[in-house]
Amino acid sequence: MQRALVDRAKRGDGEAFDALARSVGDRCMAIACRILRDADLAEDAVQTALITAWRELRTLRDPDRFEPWLHRILTNACYAEARRRRRWSADIRVIPVEGTYGPDETLTVHDRDQLERAFRRLTFEQRAVLVFHHYLGLPVSEVADRLDIPLGTVKSRLHYAMTALRASLEADDRTPSISQERMA
Amino acid sequence: MTASRDPDRLIRAFLDEGLTELPDRAYDAVRADIDRTRQRVVIGPWREPRMNNIAKLAIAAAAVVAVAVVGINLMPSGGGTVGTGSPSPSSRPSPSPSASPSPSPQPSPSPWPSLPPEPTPQAGAFPAEGRLATERYTFSQSGIPFSLEVTTPDWISSGVMVAPDGGTLTKNEATPQKVWMLLWSIDGVYADPCGQVPAPPVSPSAADLAAAVASIPGYDVVTPPTDVTVGGLPAKHVAVKLREDIGCSPSQFFMWYDNVRCGSAAPCHRWANAPGRQINDVWIVEVDGKHIWIEAETFDTATAETVQEVQQMINSVQFE
Repeated sequence: MQRALVDRAKRGDGEAFDALARSVGDRCMAIACRILRDADLAEDAVQTALITAWRELRTLRDPDRFEPWLHRILTNACYAEARRRRRWSADIRVIPVEGTYGPDETLTVHDRDQLERAFRRLTFEQRAVLVFHHYLGLPVSEVADRLDIPLGTVKSRLHYAMTALRASLEADDRTPSISQERMA
Repeated sequence: MTASRDPDRLIRAFLDEGLTELPDRAYDAVRADIDRTRQRVVIGPWREPRMNNIAKLAIAAAAVVAVAVVGINLMPSGGGTVGTGSPSPSSRPSPSPSASPSPSPQPSPSPWPSLPPEPTPQAGAFPAEGRLATERYTFSQSGIPFSLEVTTPDWISSGVMVAPDGGTLTKNEATPQKVWMLLWSIDGVYADPCGQVPAPPVSPSAADLAAAVASIPGYDVVTPPTDVTVGGLPAKHVAVKLREDIGCSPSQFFMWYDNVRCGSAAPCHRWANAPGRQINDVWIVEVDGKHIWIEAETFDTATAETVQEVQQMINSVQFE
């Protein structure tokens, strides 16, 4: 189904691309939200990525690899969006999570706060690797392919990111009265 | 904290939180934008077009009619020759008396000996897509009229570029004897092929263009820019082979571009295909301050027959 839409879209069929975008848009939004930690930025990044995908669609060789290809474009769009916005404001808004809490009762508000702060200290490149591996559940080899970076780079970014996040929770264990300062 | 706290589980739970829906307004904005945005035209590997039986029959019928018409037209003149069927004996490759040796040293001699063009005046329009008959086809690249003869069967017009602006011909797809030929014009090469950073446009001079091709990073020069003759006009030939370690995936490796056909905001560009195996031969003919760009992409597994077949096509070029 998706392949047929890709084939049609490659021939310039806007309707087909619209259908294709709607079939992958939510997942793109989920990825972008998690990399950028900001719903508005994520929405802009996804929009940019989809438009870029349309423009570049004829460069896609294997229609069955549309979504991985799109994810690479999306990740680059996230990086660009983050850089662009950082020039305007260093204050990145916190992603609204009300109503989406609580699927796992082991994650307390305090845990979340600690993780959020640690996550924001990661580079966007480290965040992307973390999201693709731990959120999408892709093996590291596929993450490397999808982000077009060496496997060793994926592993090192993943190692650094996980170490930092674990450390934030462990620090919390040691000092439960951590400051509740506003996240940058 | 309890001993049951698993940091990795907490991290995954943290990542699971958050929005998972793209608002409708974003889809609407994308839709509005794509209606205004032209897709970038890319010239690269292509596949044999799938034709249904009706199309095949139509092409076969058209070929029969064309041959019949040509035959009837030529009958009264008697002794006339038609540029169809198998190549004439004179098209066999041999050291060319017309090829002018390059003043520059040639560490590896060109596998493409140059031969004088054959007099085959009958020419038809190059089809947008489909299997090609062995006959002469006309083009008008950059407003320069010329023709080329398809000398052997099984060539296909891939439809990537449509005559008269240009043409793409393929043969033996997905085999070691694969050949792609493109007839078009280019404006420049990529200074950073993996970064997709184009070098500034090059003048239309054949020498400058050939030198630019020889300078593209990621390529080894097989035949340096060499003076040859195409269609009776002075031309340059250069051949380069893509290295194995190009530093990115082939589809991300951009070779050269054409601003004119697509507009400078979205140039047509060629991408790579097979690192370590792909050889690009380019012939550039200067005509009245413009140029014709004819390229052939083969694998290093191409046999002498395949090489000869391409050379026959080059030798068949005629300018009006």
